[in-house]
Amino acid sequence: MTAAAIEMRSINKIFGPVKALDDADLVVEAGTIHGLVGQNGAGKSTIIKILAGIYRRTSGNVSVFGKPLDQITPASIEAEGVHFIHQDRLLVPTATVAEAIFLRNEPRVGPFINYREMNRRASELLKLYFELDLDPRTLISELSTAQQKIVQITRALAHDAKVMVLDEPTAALVSREVESLFSVLRRLKTDGLAIVFISHYMSEILEICDVVTVLRNGTDVGVVDPSEVGIQKIVEMMTNRDTSEMYPRREVEIGAPVMSVRNLTVDGAFEDVSFDIRSGEILGLTGLLGSGDKEVLNTLFGQIKPDAGEIILHDKQQKFGSPVDAVNAGVAKIPEDRRAHGVATGLSVGENMSLASLGQLSTRGFVDRKKEAEVVDGLIRDLGIKTPDRHTLVKNLSGGNQQKVVVGKWLGCNSEISLLDEPTVAVDVGAKVEIYNLMNRLASEGKGLVFVSSDLEEVTEMCDRVLVIYRGKIIGEYKRGEIDADRLLAAASGAVAETERKRA
Amino acid sequence: MTNQTDTAVRESRFSLEAASNYAVIVAFIAVVIFFTFAAPGFMSGENIFNLISNKVVLLAIVALGMTIVIGAGGIDLSVGVSIDLSSMIFIMMIAAGYMGAFAVMGGLGAAFCVGLLNAFLINKLKINPFLATLGVLFIGKSIQQLSTQGGVPIYLTRAEYAAPFDAIARTSLLGIPTPIIILVVCIIGVYLALHRSVFGRYVAALGAQADVARYSGIRVPFHMSIVFISCAVLSGITGILLSSTVRSYVPLAGDAFLLDAIGATFIGTAISAERRPSVLGTLIGVALLAVMRNGLLLIGWNFFWQQVGIGVLVFLVLGLSFGLRKRAE
Ligand SMILES: Nc1ncnc2c1ncn2[C@@H]1O[C@H](COP(=O)(O)OP(=O)(O)OP(=O)(O)O)[C@@H](O)[C@H]1O
Ligand SMILES: [Mg+2]
Repeated sequence: MTAAAIEMRSINKIFGPVKALDDADLVVEAGTIHGLVGQNGAGKSTIIKILAGIYRRTSGNVSVFGKPLDQITPASIEAEGVHFIHQDRLLVPTATVAEAIFLRNEPRVGPFINYREMNRRASELLKLYFELDLDPRTLISELSTAQQKIVQITRALAHDAKVMVLDEPTAALVSREVESLFSVLRRLKTDGLAIVFISHYMSEILEICDVVTVLRNGTDVGVVDPSEVGIQKIVEMMTNRDTSEMYPRREVEIGAPVMSVRNLTVDGAFEDVSFDIRSGEILGLTGLLGSGDKEVLNTLFGQIKPDAGEIILHDKQQKFGSPVDAVNAGVAKIPEDRRAHGVATGLSVGENMSLASLGQLSTRGFVDRKKEAEVVDGLIRDLGIKTPDRHTLVKNLSGGNQQKVVVGKWLGCNSEISLLDEPTVAVDVGAKVEIYNLMNRLASEGKGLVFVSSDLEEVTEMCDRVLVIYRGKIIGEYKRGEIDADRLLAAASGAVAETERKRA
Repeated sequence: MTNQTDTAVRESRFSLEAASNYAVIVAFIAVVIFFTFAAPGFMSGENIFNLISNKVVLLAIVALGMTIVIGAGGIDLSVGVSIDLSSMIFIMMIAAGYMGAFAVMGGLGAAFCVGLLNAFLINKLKINPFLATLGVLFIGKSIQQLSTQGGVPIYLTRAEYAAPFDAIARTSLLGIPTPIIILVVCIIGVYLALHRSVFGRYVAALGAQADVARYSGIRVPFHMSIVFISCAVLSGITGILLSSTVRSYVPLAGDAFLLDAIGATFIGTAISAERRPSVLGTLIGVALLAVMRNGLLLIGWNFFWQQVGIGVLVFLVLGLSFGLRKRAE
């Protein structure tokens, strides 16, 4: 028998008071797609980062294609042909798309980078793998989270990998992009690559993985074939409990409009968008990448100034010059880009969670630390945030737990309107239910919520009404009962618009 | 069995981490003990008293201002200008026969204007704090030279001028000299602002990630203005204390405080686990720098060798602290 592509045995990792990995094993064979699942904080990213040479293991053995590796550095592991798409290592924001894809592998003429060649090959690769038309000279900082993921994946593909490790690559990707990623992964698998795939979406695990290692509290509790044992069983192994009630129901009387949007237009992004958000309502907004749904949300939060149209809140026309105005008018937003806008990773869990609601948690300008502790500890408990305590720095939390901090920060401040841009990205099954519960609680208190998500299932299950945006225009509105994922997808990809055009 | 080794590893890591936070304090104590034996006269009441009321007070107040600015993710290179302009206006007003209280307000007002100018450059013209305050530093130097015929000090020696100076620098309350009382008030004020108030949280958020602060609904320009104005006014207080101690205004005298204030703040970050500026840390940084200068002077090192000694100490302390921390991880 040939040696496994990756063999990690009895891995332990201790961070100060936290035992992140406890005798964990991970063995991946060449020519397979190997799933790695577990709740937030189970240790998935940690075991990956140990393999990547970002963290040093406290103890344990690692070998790649039968070759034991003692000291691993990011460069040495790449030399073994192992490539990574990390959950939280971003690309250099000031680099261009082409520079990011060919970093450390630039086409050269003598000592100089051949920019023309590099740009040409970059757009070729993006087209080839993802059918994405993206100017290779665009700056990374101008890309959406989804586009950045695609660039990262393309980079690994450009580097001729033998093993590819993807830590939550599909978070924030819409289904079409996920499909193209999966067809790429399947192709690589038949080429004999070993692929490690981390995801919180069980349907994806079932669809693409041949084997799954389940981590719980830093230990591998099972290696199973997902199509044999089924999703339910895997989730049970992860959580050690039964989570059947995925989408909690609410019975809320939907009331008068809280916010009205009239003929809102941002040139080049969307035009003539009008809708109401009613009290007690969860309104979905969905569209393909670049359709303008995110921009609508950003405009409602004052990040973009509208070129025409109005936003009416509290019976008053609002001119949001910046997010500050929006927050003061009672609008909260869970931003899509957690790292840039959501949490300050250098601050503690508590400082982050209270940052947007210090007004309510202070008397005469002084922080009421008792009240703050109560509120923050309550949220940590409700959302099941895995952290030693509220004083821990956010950068020491796992990705999903950082996301829960953002959710807690905004849902804790009781705003009239909450704009939720991918609030459950990177969050595990159990915590998703808690976030849904918080959303329902806000709705039942008469607040209005706008929900944008690339996970159509949760849009379908959670929303009272869904607006579909296609090329910057609202082209469909579906009420609860008429909403189903296929219909939304068809509308979002323009199928409805096309048939209507044909009819006309 | 494995469990036992785990706890052992855990504990040793814990203590390494703790040790990294205490490195500065340990260094301070070591330096004090060293000079107690090496420099006769170091531990005398008179020396300690002079050290505190002359050196420590002046530097500490500026460093407190710098702590606010660095805490908010900025830097203020123009503290010297705030010190000097405050001192210059104060002395000129005394010379012109104004009451001491008005002269103090005039001096602080001048410092306030420096802070306001910084805030304007940073918020409105979007110049980064380093360049904005560097520009103000250049302009401030020229203003002083132009208004003193190229840098001639203003000495006030006549008896009728003495009263306001004495009131600030030479009186005492309940046996505690006025400058020390002023320092204590400043410490308490900045401590409450930075570590207990909403403003302090906003400062920390600005320092950690300004975008997150903005997206949390914090008025970034407003708070940045408060930050820079506070620093300038605190420096202005030092300016007035300085000129009342020496009964004169010496152009560009404030420059000497800039690097020490920045140094003390950064040395101070080593005491907190998050490596953030803090009031306590800065005060320890100030004390360490002041003791080093004074001790080295007493054992006969001249100014230039003092600088070398301090540089080496800073490397040792910060290297030890950050190195231990790295090991702990
Ligand atoms: N640098 C660090 N310092 C201290 N603790 C850490 C650090 N990195 C991770 N941890 C802790 O280790 C545990 C495992 O984290 P890890 O990031 O591996 O989780 P994960 O399985 O990837 O979760 P998620 O699904 O949320 O991404 C968590 O409890 C986390 O708080
Ligand atoms: Mg992770």
